[in-house]
Amino acid sequence: MSAVWSVALAAVRRRRLQSAILALVVLCSTVAIVVALGLLEASSWPFDRTFAEQRGAHVVATFDRATVPDALLTRTAGRPGVEAAAGPFGQKALTVADTRQSLPPGPLTVVGRPGPGGPVDRVDLWTGRWAARPGEIVVNRPVEPLFSDLVGATVRTREGMTFTIVGLASSVSRTAEAWVTPAQMRTMNPTATQMLYRFTEAGDLRAATASVTAGLSPSGVQSYLTVKQDVSRTASAYLPFLVGFGLLGLLVAVLIVANVVGGAVVAGQRHIGVLKSLGFTPDQVMAVYLVMVLLPGSAGCLVGTGLGALISQPLLHRVFAGTGAAIGLGVGWWAYLTALVGVPAVVVLAALVPASRAHRLSAAESIRAGGGRRSGRGQAIQHLLSGTPLPRSVSLGLGLPFARPGRSALTLAAIVLGVAATTLATGLFRTMTAYGDTAQRVGHVHSVVHVGRPDQIRPKLGDAAIEALLRAQPGVRHVTADAWIDVRLLGHTSRIKAQFLRGDAATRGDVVVAGRYISGPGEVAAPSAFLRRFGLRVGDRLTLALGDARTQATIVGEVMDAANDLVIASWPTLTALDPGRSATQYEVRLAPDADVETFHAAVKAAEPGLYPRTKSQVDQNSVAVIGAASFFTLILGVVASLGVFNTVVLNTRERRRDLAMLKSIGMTPRQVTLMTVTSMAALGVLGGLVGVPVGIASHRVVVLAMMEAAGLSAPAILLDVWHVAALAALVVAGVAIAVLGAFLPARSAAALTIAEALRTE
Amino acid sequence: MTTGTAAAVRLDHVRRQYGETVALDGVSLEIRAGEAVAVMGPSGSGKSTLLNLIAGLDRPSAGRVTVQGDDLTGLDETGLALFRRRHIGMIFQFFNLLDDLSALDNVALAAQLTGTPAAQARRRALDLLDELGIGDRARTYPAVLSGGERQRVAVARALMNRPAVLLADEPTGALDSHSGEQVMDLLLDLHQIGQTLLLVTHDVRLAERCAGRVIELADGRVTAERTLEGHP
Repeated sequence: MSAVWSVALAAVRRRRLQSAILALVVLCSTVAIVVALGLLEASSWPFDRTFAEQRGAHVVATFDRATVPDALLTRTAGRPGVEAAAGPFGQKALTVADTRQSLPPGPLTVVGRPGPGGPVDRVDLWTGRWAARPGEIVVNRPVEPLFSDLVGATVRTREGMTFTIVGLASSVSRTAEAWVTPAQMRTMNPTATQMLYRFTEAGDLRAATASVTAGLSPSGVQSYLTVKQDVSRTASAYLPFLVGFGLLGLLVAVLIVANVVGGAVVAGQRHIGVLKSLGFTPDQVMAVYLVMVLLPGSAGCLVGTGLGALISQPLLHRVFAGTGAAIGLGVGWWAYLTALVGVPAVVVLAALVPASRAHRLSAAESIRAGGGRRSGRGQAIQHLLSGTPLPRSVSLGLGLPFARPGRSALTLAAIVLGVAATTLATGLFRTMTAYGDTAQRVGHVHSVVHVGRPDQIRPKLGDAAIEALLRAQPGVRHVTADAWIDVRLLGHTSRIKAQFLRGDAATRGDVVVAGRYISGPGEVAAPSAFLRRFGLRVGDRLTLALGDARTQATIVGEVMDAANDLVIASWPTLTALDPGRSATQYEVRLAPDADVETFHAAVKAAEPGLYPRTKSQVDQNSVAVIGAASFFTLILGVVASLGVFNTVVLNTRERRRDLAMLKSIGMTPRQVTLMTVTSMAALGVLGGLVGVPVGIASHRVVVLAMMEAAGLSAPAILLDVWHVAALAALVVAGVAIAVLGAFLPARSAAALTIAEALRTE
Repeated sequence: MTTGTAAAVRLDHVRRQYGETVALDGVSLEIRAGEAVAVMGPSGSGKSTLLNLIAGLDRPSAGRVTVQGDDLTGLDETGLALFRRRHIGMIFQFFNLLDDLSALDNVALAAQLTGTPAAQARRRALDLLDELGIGDRARTYPAVLSGGERQRVAVARALMNRPAVLLADEPTGALDSHSGEQVMDLLLDLHQIGQTLLLVTHDVRLAERCAGRVIELADGRVTAERTLEGHP
């Protein structure tokens, strides 16, 4: 074993506490880094991951079945530039009948496929099974447990066909809304044929598609880029939040590691001097110190990477559950590699700065420097504090940070970031709670009463009678009848959803960010994302079409909702399109003292064909953001506290002789603890005062960016979430981080054996 | 062993053991109020351990230490700290001043820890520094004081709370001969005005000049004790 190695090993053993702190800080920082990188990766490329996992189609081309025979299409798979192709599959557009059934009424694109696999578009059959015989259908739905109820339900079409849903599958390429067996499709007289292509070069899709379909004149071409844009909209709303926390995590980690490593090297300068006097060259001394910090640092990094891998997987699924982008989630190898290489690199860089100073010092200087901190710093402040009426242990503590300004600055920066993270998390919690409450209409809607589907008990009462029945129940304050219907927006090819409302619609709790709420016939309100998507604004008129019917409406308000394919309209607008339509559900608001379960029991007793459900109070997106924010706040708070802990350990070791002297002249253990804790609490107060505004500013930037990414206009309720009491409590968070970190080493300092410390001169 | 009615310090069969090493082995002695005693002996004889036990900086493994009537055996850490404030002043070989504080604030610190207001503590500290001949150096920081000046500041700090017993551990050990002479004069002056003084030293000259009695230790035991002529 070389001299460098054996001396470094001995140094690690001798500085067990210091090495343990370094390993622990590196471990926590690595966990934060791995999780942050994993979340960043997942939120940046959810579509790409799922697209790769499913071998998504770069292009979905449809052809007129009457003019393009299947044999010609099969041959296109072998054309230059095609990596893989699937099809030809028969395709048919059906119309789901309005029979208050499982699927919303309106068009349904159905494709005949033998199974979910294949060379292209390997759809995720996440529940049930694939269609195996005529009359069976698989419906395209994102992986959401709430859709599971659809399996077993019946679908009737206006064309007179009846299907049973046997499975639910998710296709990131959106190649169909439902699938049946090829044999079933043949009986349905398909009008179009679908081909799915993956290209070897996806750079110029237009050229590639033209080349592959030359002479065949496709009737429709859907690029994966269009789908990607839409899918990524939801997930990219997370990006600003994750970038914010990711950056905070990285900064805190680097600061603390630099502080811990720098402190270890500075504290070891006397040792450096001794090594030099024994004949170690400056380079060997540097090597000893780098190995000394790298050993615990690497151990912490390895364990942290493993823990990060364990923690990030469930966290990722929790965060992305409900976004429809949870397929194939995982932390990429590059994130682990970055942590495994980057963190030790930070450790080495942090050690190089103080070690290079020791490298330059002569043996005698090193030994002198190792005697303790440089004298003469903060003397004016100590003199000033000495004359104040504060208890002497407090005034001494307040002056301590000035003795080591560099170390104090790093510790302060870590506290600032810890408080900023806590503030940002608190703000996000309030914002997301406000958003979630709005999304779930907390306090506005307590129960949603569904009308029985064809495969359930059907209600005997008609639409108006049901509404009257609900209004007549004890404790009912407001009832809003809803009908969700797919309609067309004239002038645009894509379909949109319209939620037609009747009754007490104004009490549902929709938040209007511009204009006003709907109040009469011919009025619609639309979410910001919808207006942006279609280039509309409040005051514009639009034409809604259902079948052959058309009606004009004015956009009177912009509402807070993430949907870009939804308008809220008054019931007379629906009547103008189709007078025979009925409500599919009823939203009920109860009196504050009314019991939801009692109401549900009364409704079921009165009309067994109604299915009341308690309105969920939990918004999945809000839960995800709050969960991830809490994790980061916890880990950043722990790391910041560890930074304080390390600073106090270093300070008390350096001031061991001073502490012993203070005790020898009558400083009690309580006064020693108070002095030591005060020294960090002062930094905590300062950290709180600086960290809170930083956190508030970060919150504003992050929320505005999230809203922008989600296509939402940010109303005041999402931004003005601060109260004086909460802000004061957040300043206290800085003190809490500092006191938590300082308390144990302060107690240890208080228990210092004076005689022993004074003998070490 | 010397006995007297007004004992400032009393040790009864005190033993101090560190692992297998016995630093003090059944030491009994008594120091009267106003007496100046020097403890001498070779390195490792137990001199500093004896001093630390009397100051309450360390605890005996067996036996009893009583100072100014307080039995230190039963005191906890806080009790010992309060005891030191009331009764003990300490002077160390290497001064042990706080580098961040001026000479004045180093001296005032001892009183401020007891709750004395800053202004009052500083006034008394300045008086003490004046008495010790370094009042003009009150605003100076330890790093720029000479060794003799630093030790005078340390003496002033030790006297700040008017201790019943002044303990000095090799007070001239880190000083040049001139500064050592000055400190010896200072200790002699203190003794002459009635300060109880216990010196631990290798320096025979210091012992003979300042102490009225010399206790010799070897291997943790009192091996000799003699009274010096010309001292009270």
